[in-house]
Amino acid sequence: MEGVNSVLGESPTKMDVQNLSAYYGQSRAIQEINLAFPEKKVTAIIGPSGCGKSTLIRCLNRMHETGYRARVEGSVLLDGEDLYELDATLVRRRVGMVFQKPNPFATMSIYNNVSAALRFNGRPSREECDAVVLRSLRQAALWDEVKDRIDEPATSLSGGQQQRLCIARALAANPEVILMDEPCSALDPIATAKIEELIGQLKNDYTVIIVTHNMQQAARVADFTSFLYLGKLVEFGPTEQLFERPKEHLTEAYITGRFG
Amino acid sequence: MNKDPLADTGEPRGYDLEVRHLKDRAVRMGALALAMVHDGWRAYDEGDLGAAQKVLDRAGPLDRFDEDMEHATIAFLVLRQPAAVDLRTAAGLLKITTHLDRVGRLGFDMARITSSTPSKELAELRGLLQQMDDTVESMVQQSLEALDHDNVELARQLFRRDDAVDRMHRQANRLIIANLEKDPALARRLAGDLLVARHFERIADNACKIGEKTIYALTGQRRSEYLPRHVTRPYVQESPDTSTGPARG
Repeated sequence: MEGVNSVLGESPTKMDVQNLSAYYGQSRAIQEINLAFPEKKVTAIIGPSGCGKSTLIRCLNRMHETGYRARVEGSVLLDGEDLYELDATLVRRRVGMVFQKPNPFATMSIYNNVSAALRFNGRPSREECDAVVLRSLRQAALWDEVKDRIDEPATSLSGGQQQRLCIARALAANPEVILMDEPCSALDPIATAKIEELIGQLKNDYTVIIVTHNMQQAARVADFTSFLYLGKLVEFGPTEQLFERPKEHLTEAYITGRFG
Repeated sequence: MNKDPLADTGEPRGYDLEVRHLKDRAVRMGALALAMVHDGWRAYDEGDLGAAQKVLDRAGPLDRFDEDMEHATIAFLVLRQPAAVDLRTAAGLLKITTHLDRVGRLGFDMARITSSTPSKELAELRGLLQQMDDTVESMVQQSLEALDHDNVELARQLFRRDDAVDRMHRQANRLIIANLEKDPALARRLAGDLLVARHFERIADNACKIGEKTIYALTGQRRSEYLPRHVTRPYVQESPDTSTGPARG
């Protein structure tokens, strides 16, 4: 495979995955992956079910190690610092995550969902909370839709709005990287289009890494795409190149749907 | 042992059959375009107005092929959202259809200037134009075979053959000018010959474009990656014997 640095060109690297392997007990889910995520770009991770996409993304904010008998080998550098030598809570603040299914705190209001990260980490003033909630909801393109019902339960929102609320909640912690694990798989096409539009805006301020089963979505939102198969990185490159003329036979077989 | 889901079973998928179907339509359109060139030249050369009219009447079917191909290819793009080789093939076919339409149109244009008084003089020029016709018809046929059989090598050979057509075109221009200077009374017929020679040269270019799109569909390579663009100079700066440009292909 072509060297990652030659693929990235001038884009500075935000996260650098080096010889990363992840295990569940004796089973190795991903194998010696080397991959660099460029700063303030969207990178998609695609691959068939069970190829290790979600495991890889969960290694990027140290969530993998919270699983039963789960462990990691290798390193993940964030701005040159190895995540596995930092405090895990601090890592998760710098590397936020949005999951497949919207998971707002069901008993909390919209406002409290967004300000939760601040309140969990101290005793912020009402003014501080207001400012963060306003900024985060605006960044998540949700403010105009909820500004008149900010104290209503988060569960009163539609699925697409709940997912954007989860994005706002992740943004409230002021992360540097946002991980998204199939963020639109539970949403209808209209809500999906809004999230995709939002991803395009978020990359102005954040590095975004998205796992998706939907190749068209990867093509629409990502600047770079990586293809994983059986736990190994097969190909990484600019999205346009990977979908128009992939270098590896396996990538070609996967994206053209030539399955056995 | 787990079966590798990406292993090639060798069985054609519905998807593959759709791509095959699109290519088949393009090849059928190509056969019509080629027949228009063949019959258009024959009508012009023999001054057969009846044959010319038959070529002109094929413009409608050619248009319908063009529209039909465009609809079918766009439907494939929308419904299948292809990637990699399938995407390149669909994109290539959209362009190939345009080139085939142009080939047919050039045959149409030859039929359009057919006159009922063919000139039997100027044997050298007639022979040269016939040679151009033979070459460009064979090139279009070759481009269709390359597309039909996924044959990159066959497509690549077209570029070298195009150089030969360019040489014949320049030679035809020189003969036409020399004859005009010798006998201005032949001006009407020679003006037609000038156009026909130009049409043959354009047909060869379109055959090369079809080859180019076939190579792109099969390999992802664009022309600039395998064929350096040669320097073109004004005719007056070219010597008759060395005006071939660098060899290509």
